[in-house]
Amino acid sequence: MSYWYNQKAPQSDIAVSTRIRLARNIKEIPFPSKMSPEQFAMVNNIVRTAVENSNQPIAKTLKYISMDNVPEIERFAMVERHIISKNFALNYKNRSIIISEDESICIMLGEEDHIRVQVLLSGLQFEKAYQIAVMIDSILCSSLDIAFDSRIGFLTECPTNLGTGLRASVMLHLPLIENRGEISSLSDSISKIGLTIRGMYGEGTKALASLYQISNQVTLGINEENAIDNLKIITNQLIQKEQEYRKQLNMLKFEDRCMRSYGVLKNARILSSSEMLSRLSDVQLGVSLGILNIKKLPISIIVEGQPYMIMRKMGEMSTDTRDIERAKMVRDLL
Amino acid sequence: MICEKCGVNTATTHIRTVVNGVVHEKHLCSLCASAENYSDAKTNNLSQMLSSMLDNTHISLSNDNVTKCNCCGNTFSDIVNSGKCGCSNCYTTFYEQLLPSLKRLHGSIKHIGKKPNLKNYEKASDDNIDELRELLKSLVKEEKYEEAAVIRDKIKNMEREA
Repeated sequence: MSYWYNQKAPQSDIAVSTRIRLARNIKEIPFPSKMSPEQFAMVNNIVRTAVENSNQPIAKTLKYISMDNVPEIERFAMVERHIISKNFALNYKNRSIIISEDESICIMLGEEDHIRVQVLLSGLQFEKAYQIAVMIDSILCSSLDIAFDSRIGFLTECPTNLGTGLRASVMLHLPLIENRGEISSLSDSISKIGLTIRGMYGEGTKALASLYQISNQVTLGINEENAIDNLKIITNQLIQKEQEYRKQLNMLKFEDRCMRSYGVLKNARILSSSEMLSRLSDVQLGVSLGILNIKKLPISIIVEGQPYMIMRKMGEMSTDTRDIERAKMVRDLL
Repeated sequence: MICEKCGVNTATTHIRTVVNGVVHEKHLCSLCASAENYSDAKTNNLSQMLSSMLDNTHISLSNDNVTKCNCCGNTFSDIVNSGKCGCSNCYTTFYEQLLPSLKRLHGSIKHIGKKPNLKNYEKASDDNIDELRELLKSLVKEEKYEEAAVIRDKIKNMEREA
C-alpha cells in the first residue's frame, strides 16, 4: 500500500513529509471538551452523512470508521504513522475518523474541534496537499452549518486556531544544521514570522533522527496562501542551507560513520527504538549523498520500527522482545 | 539569572512570547511561575499558558460573573480558567472581553482568509464586478477552469443586470 512513508516524492530526502490541517466546528453544538456522548454521535452522523452524500469524486475515496471499533494497538500505531494525534488515541470513545485508503486524508471527528481535516503527503507537496484540503473543506462548508464569524474567522475550541484554522507543517531531516547547533537560533528567528519548530521524535530538546517539524502558528490576520507561502519560503531556505553544509562535510569521516551505522542496522540482534532512529538518520544522509543505496526508504523503516507498529504486526510484547523483533525486521528490510 | 518577580530565587522558568514580531521575555523562579499559572517545561500546557494570557487582560470580573453563554453555559471565568471556549457562541457572547487576548495571541483581530461560502474559493465581494474580473483572470491562470466558468457566468449576469 502506498502510504506516505513508503513514497518517494519531490525533495523527500530532506523534506520528508508535508501536512495540512484544517480545524472546523459546527454551530450550536458545544466543543468536544463539553460534549456528551449523544452530541458526539450527532457530529459523527452529520459529518458522515455530508461526506457520503457528496457527489465530489474525492468523497467516494473516504471511509467512515468508529474509533470505538479500533483496538488499542492499532490506535497507537495510527499515532506512530502520524495519522491521528496521541490525544485522540487516548480519548477515543465516541469519536470517529473518515479516512482514505492510503491514509493521506484523515478527518478526525471530536478531537480538539468537531472536525480536523488532515492531508499528509510525502516530500514537499504544499500545493497538492492544500488543494485536497480545500476540496474536503468545500464538501463540509457546503453541506454543514460551519461555525464562522466574519470578524474573527472560523471558530475553534482553542483561540490559538481561530481565523483560518489552518496549520501547515513540514517534516525536515536536518542533521547538519542540528550538528552545528543552529536549531535554537533558528527557532528564535522563525518565531518572529509566526512559525515554530520542534523535534519530531524524542522528549524535550533531544530530537532523535534529526527530524524536525516546522509549522505555522499564527492563524488570525493572515490568509491561507500567505501562511503556506511563508512556510514554503523558510522550508526552501532551510533545505538550501542543509545542502550547503553537506557540501562542506568531511566525506571520508562521514562515510565511515554512515557505513558503521549501516553495519549495525544490518547485523544487530537487539535494536532499541532510539538507536534505530539515530542509525537511520546517518543512513538517510548517506543515501541522500549517494554513498549508499538501500531498497527501503529510511523514513519507512523509522515508522515501521515504532513500538506499536511492530506490535500491530506481531502482537503485544515487552520492550525487550520488541527490541529483538525490531532488529530482525530491520535486518530483513535491508 | 534571578527571578524578575521576587528578585530572590534563581529563575528556572523562561517564557518567551512573540506577537507581531515583538519578543517579550519573562524569567521566573518555580514559585512565582506557578503563582502566575506557568508550569515547568515538562508539563507545559498550552491551555494553561492561554488561560494566563486571558487572565492578564481580564478587566473586571465583578461586573461579569453573571453572563453565561446561551449554548454551553460557560461564563467568561470558565473560559479564562480552561483557556478554551465551550462552543462557537462563546465567541459572540464574550467577543469584547476576548479581543485583547486574541490580539496578544495572533497580533491581529481581523480575519482575512477564506469564508465558508458555497464556493469556497471566493474571497472577493460578490458585489464588486472588477474584483470578480480579477478573480476570473487568476483562476484561468491557475487553470481552474470549472471555477472560472462559474465566475464568468456570474459576471455575465451582473453585466446583464447593469
